[in-house]
Amino acid sequence: MARMKFLCDADRCIECNACVTACKNEHEVPWGINRRRVVTINDGKPGERSVSMACMHCTDAPCAAVCPVKCFYTTADGVVLHSKDLCIGCGYCFYACPFGAPQYPKVGNFGSRGKMDKCTFCAGGPEADSSKAEYDKYGSNRLAEGKLPLCAEMCSTKSLLAGDGDVIAQIYKERVAKRGYGSGAWGWKTAYKETIAS
Amino acid sequence: MTMLLALGRSAIAALALAVLASIAVPASAQQPTQVNPTASSVKEDQLFRQMTRIDGRISIPDAKEGVLIQPAGQSWRQFHEVTLPWIGAIAILGMLALLVIFYLTRGMVRIERGRSGRTIMRFNAFERFVHWLTATCFIVLAISGLNITFGRQILMPILGPNGFASWSQYAKYAHNYLSFPFTLGVVLILLMWIAWALPNRTDVEWLKQGGGLVGNKHPPAARFNAGQKIMFWLVVLGGAAAAISGYLLMFPFYATDVEGMQTAQMVHGIVAVIFVAVMLAHIYIGTIGMEGAFESMGTGDVDLNWAKQHHPIWVEQEMAQSRGASQGAPAE
Amino acid sequence: MLIKRTERQARRTALAAALGNQAASGIDRRAFLRRSGLAAGSLAAIGALPLAGVRKAEAAAAMAGAGGGVTVKKNICTHCSVGCTVLGEVQNGVWVGQEPGWDSPISRGSHCAKGAATRELVHGDRRLRYPMKMVNGQWQRINWDTAVTEIAAKMEAIRTKNGPDSLYWLGSAKQTNEGAYWFRKFAAFMGTNNVDHQARICHSTTVAGVANTWGYGAMTNSYNDIRNSKTMIIMGGNPAEAHPVSLQHVLTGKELNKANMIVIDPRMTRTAAHATEYVRIRSGTDIPVIWGILWHVFKNGWEDKEFIAQRVYGMDDIRKEVEKYNPQEVERIAGVPPAQLERVAKLFATEKPATLIWCMGATQHTVGTANVRAFCVALLATGNVGKFGTGANIFRGHTNVQGATDLGLDIVTTPLYYGLATPAWRHWSRVWEVEYDWLAARFDTIKGADGKDVKMMETAGIPSTRWFDATLLPKDQVTQKDGLKAMIVFGHGGNTVTRMPKAAEGIEKLDLLVVADPHPTTWAVLSERKNDTYLLPVCTSYEAEGSRTSSNRSIQWGEQIVKPIFESKDDLEIMYLLAQKLGFADRMFKNVKVKNNLPDAEDVLREINRGGFSTGYCGQSPERLKLHMANQGDFDLVTLKASSGPCKGDTYGLPWPCWGTPEIKHPGTHTLYNTHLHVKEGGGTFRARFGVEREGKTLLAEGSYSVGSEIKDGYPEFNYGVLKKLGWDKDLTPAELATIQRIGGANPDGVSWAIDLSGGIQRVCLEHGVMHYGNGKARANAFGLPDAIPTHREPIYTPRPDLVAKYPTLPNARQFRMPNVGFDVQKAAVDKGIAKEFPLILTSGRLVEYEGGGEETRSNKWLAELQQDMFVEINPSDAADRGIKDGAWVWVFGAENNSKARVKALVTERVGKGVTWMPFHFAGWFQGVDQRGKYPKGTDPVVLGESVNALTTYGFDPVTGMQEPKATLCQVKAA
Repeated sequence: MARMKFLCDADRCIECNACVTACKNEHEVPWGINRRRVVTINDGKPGERSVSMACMHCTDAPCAAVCPVKCFYTTADGVVLHSKDLCIGCGYCFYACPFGAPQYPKVGNFGSRGKMDKCTFCAGGPEADSSKAEYDKYGSNRLAEGKLPLCAEMCSTKSLLAGDGDVIAQIYKERVAKRGYGSGAWGWKTAYKETIAS
Repeated sequence: MTMLLALGRSAIAALALAVLASIAVPASAQQPTQVNPTASSVKEDQLFRQMTRIDGRISIPDAKEGVLIQPAGQSWRQFHEVTLPWIGAIAILGMLALLVIFYLTRGMVRIERGRSGRTIMRFNAFERFVHWLTATCFIVLAISGLNITFGRQILMPILGPNGFASWSQYAKYAHNYLSFPFTLGVVLILLMWIAWALPNRTDVEWLKQGGGLVGNKHPPAARFNAGQKIMFWLVVLGGAAAAISGYLLMFPFYATDVEGMQTAQMVHGIVAVIFVAVMLAHIYIGTIGMEGAFESMGTGDVDLNWAKQHHPIWVEQEMAQSRGASQGAPAE
Repeated sequence: MLIKRTERQARRTALAAALGNQAASGIDRRAFLRRSGLAAGSLAAIGALPLAGVRKAEAAAAMAGAGGGVTVKKNICTHCSVGCTVLGEVQNGVWVGQEPGWDSPISRGSHCAKGAATRELVHGDRRLRYPMKMVNGQWQRINWDTAVTEIAAKMEAIRTKNGPDSLYWLGSAKQTNEGAYWFRKFAAFMGTNNVDHQARICHSTTVAGVANTWGYGAMTNSYNDIRNSKTMIIMGGNPAEAHPVSLQHVLTGKELNKANMIVIDPRMTRTAAHATEYVRIRSGTDIPVIWGILWHVFKNGWEDKEFIAQRVYGMDDIRKEVEKYNPQEVERIAGVPPAQLERVAKLFATEKPATLIWCMGATQHTVGTANVRAFCVALLATGNVGKFGTGANIFRGHTNVQGATDLGLDIVTTPLYYGLATPAWRHWSRVWEVEYDWLAARFDTIKGADGKDVKMMETAGIPSTRWFDATLLPKDQVTQKDGLKAMIVFGHGGNTVTRMPKAAEGIEKLDLLVVADPHPTTWAVLSERKNDTYLLPVCTSYEAEGSRTSSNRSIQWGEQIVKPIFESKDDLEIMYLLAQKLGFADRMFKNVKVKNNLPDAEDVLREINRGGFSTGYCGQSPERLKLHMANQGDFDLVTLKASSGPCKGDTYGLPWPCWGTPEIKHPGTHTLYNTHLHVKEGGGTFRARFGVEREGKTLLAEGSYSVGSEIKDGYPEFNYGVLKKLGWDKDLTPAELATIQRIGGANPDGVSWAIDLSGGIQRVCLEHGVMHYGNGKARANAFGLPDAIPTHREPIYTPRPDLVAKYPTLPNARQFRMPNVGFDVQKAAVDKGIAKEFPLILTSGRLVEYEGGGEETRSNKWLAELQQDMFVEINPSDAADRGIKDGAWVWVFGAENNSKARVKALVTERVGKGVTWMPFHFAGWFQGVDQRGKYPKGTDPVVLGESVNALTTYGFDPVTGMQEPKATLCQVKAA
């Protein structure tokens, strides 16, 4: 069974932010919600690396573990999704998430959190696939259409990979073998308790 | 402990990053450097050996988004899932058990000389209002707060996911909104009673004698005995801690980063469950634990004998004052 | 736990199975790998997979009910010159989604932030919705007819009163080829050469420098071909931000070939982060650095001696100059350690093929043309031109800046580099089928300083960098009947040109300002104008049909994705409406079908084909281009060649030159000057453009010729006379001969390959394996240019006044109808000690999220969120000296015009000590004042900020009028 994962090859990532805007475009994500973002470490110094980060759809997801209302669920493809109908916007998933994935719209009273929003691996939510209700709450459902997340599909340098974990791990391994270096599959240890030997 | 760790973390991370950078950069910052991808590649493992989280620069003006990976979330998860429920359970259930045992062994503390029939005013209407305002808020806050930690084990099976989510949503609103009157109550309590709550020599004696709860002596006390003073300070300081940590959580990331948020939640959680436990004791002593105690916050007037038994010095003072007043002489 | 719908469960499981077991439902493993971007060689052969169809069926049915299906339209990203394919999903006339264009060999589905957010352009949240006019300082809505009538009347009045040269036509690199070409034609019909576009401020010096070296002003190879390079130097460019998708090719090439990727730049860019070697230089010292590299090359004998002997003229003159730039001198000027430069020189010269990639860091200088010339010489010296994996890979800026340059939005030429001399105008008169005399009469003739007549028709116009000088300078200093009175701006920002305080003054003095653009742009808000200002909403290229030329010269046809939104109109339609009011529509649109006022873009392209022989724009008929777009998947990722399908043998996009008529099916030219291929296969030679001999030395190639050439040596360019001498005239068809004779009249022998409208001379030459433009030598010594041998010249405002005595800028001179007083300005700056008062170097550049002046990208909420404040990058030590913290507000003071800007500080080691860097995409604040209220309601961009060009200073390249925004001085203080 396919287990969907993300992998950002930091030796390819150039912080072009295509993943970020592709996501906004595909799901019409509002201002202030960044389901995906690119962080640059060692900015301006040797060893500068940029990494595109979003929900990694962890194995044994911490967000799901700490959610007071159990609004998370994992699909058969290993995608961690949540129900905005259940979410109460408590913010706990953000504290637990190693990747800063959960985002909260600022709503009404004193800028407090609305219902959590995060990367869905372009797989929508609990509503009927490709329904309007699903789109309004979670954005489009590409997986149901046989497509992969648009962020990875549009990545300018093919740095961001998305799909079956075994396949993308293989792709990454081959790349590393061919070029002789690789800074590692960022977040894999934390998210999946595994690393890709490189 | 955890708090300290959390505070230390960011400093260590910054230091580690600086160290790492200085390893990678040869002497001069101005002059060019050979960037060899095979040698100087920054690997995730390598970074994590030196720091506890990875931070970077991000163009959007939202500092929290600059945190790339923070495995600390896992330890917070551990706290939230294991540590806090255990602390909570031990504190609250432990306190309940203690009170039950105490009640069974000691029973209700009676007014030894029986009711006198004469009363003396202990708390005026405003004081009672403030108390009950704070108390009501506290009860709602406590229930809605405990719901976050224990609700999904206890209530969710009963209410079902949707029912529980709706309930929790309202509970969250209640928790957020009632925090304001609660905080106000705590502030008023502080202002109203601080004059009587400052510790003095009498308290030492009172404490030595176990407050009369243990044994049968009645140590002297003024308006507030040492136990009540402790309660006062617990309410004030605990309330302040709960309020500050709570507002940090309610206004996320305005004043702190994710580690601060985690710390705030941990403080809030621990303070809250201890607070609840302490309040159980307070409620016990104010109701079934002691005859005549509830009246002080009920009608505000307590039986004189009760007062003499528990707060002899205060009764003295009150008497002296009213005598002075009736003689038309100045008190001083 | 949640209960999922069973149907969903089933579908998910099926997908999971499909991915796991390669069962072919939805997406199979090969498709998946392709999407994951693994495949270079093996998987590229899979060809097109039917991926786009799924959504049509499902999404349409599910989301819109009975609203009609989703159709997919293919266009090209309107941002940079890489030319990424944009697939727009359209439903009920609304652009509802964007899908990756997997089949494009250029982008393979990829985009950068701009491309991935490009659908928002047609959302049009902040677009100009209808024509507007300023009346006493207030914007008023007007209708199109009023707008066009009033504008045409005012143009005609100025034309009559002040002369045709008082109208300035500023076109755009965002126009389609057809739009740009027609805009140039329009200016010609209005009787002026004052027509320009963004190339002036981006790669005009490249075009001049490169064309003067070997013949044509364009990237010699392609983005894809960089995959073949063993060494690449990126100098003065930051493609990771400016051309992100190009990095796909650069980085893959770097990885697969274990190639050296050397970045030479004053700033440690996002590109440099991926380099194998980063060389930090001082801004404006490119020539010393290149000469420093060549110093090592010549000293160690690493040069390609055979190549130089056969194909290069004047390398010995270079050697003499290079000797002056020993390692110590280079370190003194540029600050590069000798050992590092030697290492770079060795890699570049010995680990071949090597390519040199540059951008505006090299071109935007007073020595821009000389910089480019030095780069070309470095390539020639090491034999790195005319082969795969080599070459001058010039990354152009805007989506169609190459095409717009080619098609003549240029003050020095008619379309396709025919120049401004009489034969050029006669050529275009024939193509346009207008009488030459009528056209000539549209232009002014004035008395020159020497009392002789000056035909303005044959005089280069005013560069866009100095239009306001032509407005502000006294009339007698501007060589035309009168100063500039009207700006007609079709798609050009007002904040991308240096010296904005002067521009603001200039705008106020104009009698007429017309801004035709999807957005109001800085033009609308910069000045205190009250009247005679019009805004016309133009649609984007997504709402129009037409072709665009990528940096690699590939021409891609874009389908209209949706109809122009609101009341906006296509460039061609607006020009048609204006031409009608001006009374020459029939004459002008003679060869073009016009339907509902909209001229047919395909017909326009056919007209370009008919006249485009000089540059090989003749073979790319709309039919061929559309066939390429429909069969993108057939083209190879590395060679860009179709090995099967209806385009078999063609190179993707028929990169120009694509010789002859479309019927002879020239495949296009992937790499210029490549003698290793037959000319019919896209091979070529250096163009014999500069004569045959100079000072007793031949300018023709010696012993070098393209594969299969019947002439086994150098040869001059062809005309009918040469053809006759060789006896090849017999190969011409009677029709071709008749055309040649018609063109030549009394002297058919003089009809050259470029003006032969039959394409016969080209066809016959190709048949004989020779290049009709001749087989010449590239010029290391470009005699005729101000610096024939490039030499270092300090920037006008230099932080090193001590070097000015030895390396002064060029003397004052008159250029492009105006005086260039750079020398005086430099001298005054040194005398006044400006470098002490303004001790920091100020240089500028691009951000990935924004494009050009930034008006459209800053109006795009998805992009604007990512860069919300204008900033200045400053080194931590400079910041500490000034008490400036990261993220704090600062004032940046410019060295001229008492200019200042309030921006945020970005404290970073990207810039070295003593250097500041600012992005150039911001506008809407000016000298600390927010101008948001001056935009017409609802059209203000989401993000506004100070423009770096409010701070930039005087300085112009003598060859092209290029500005100097890359090396000036400033001071920064905490705000």
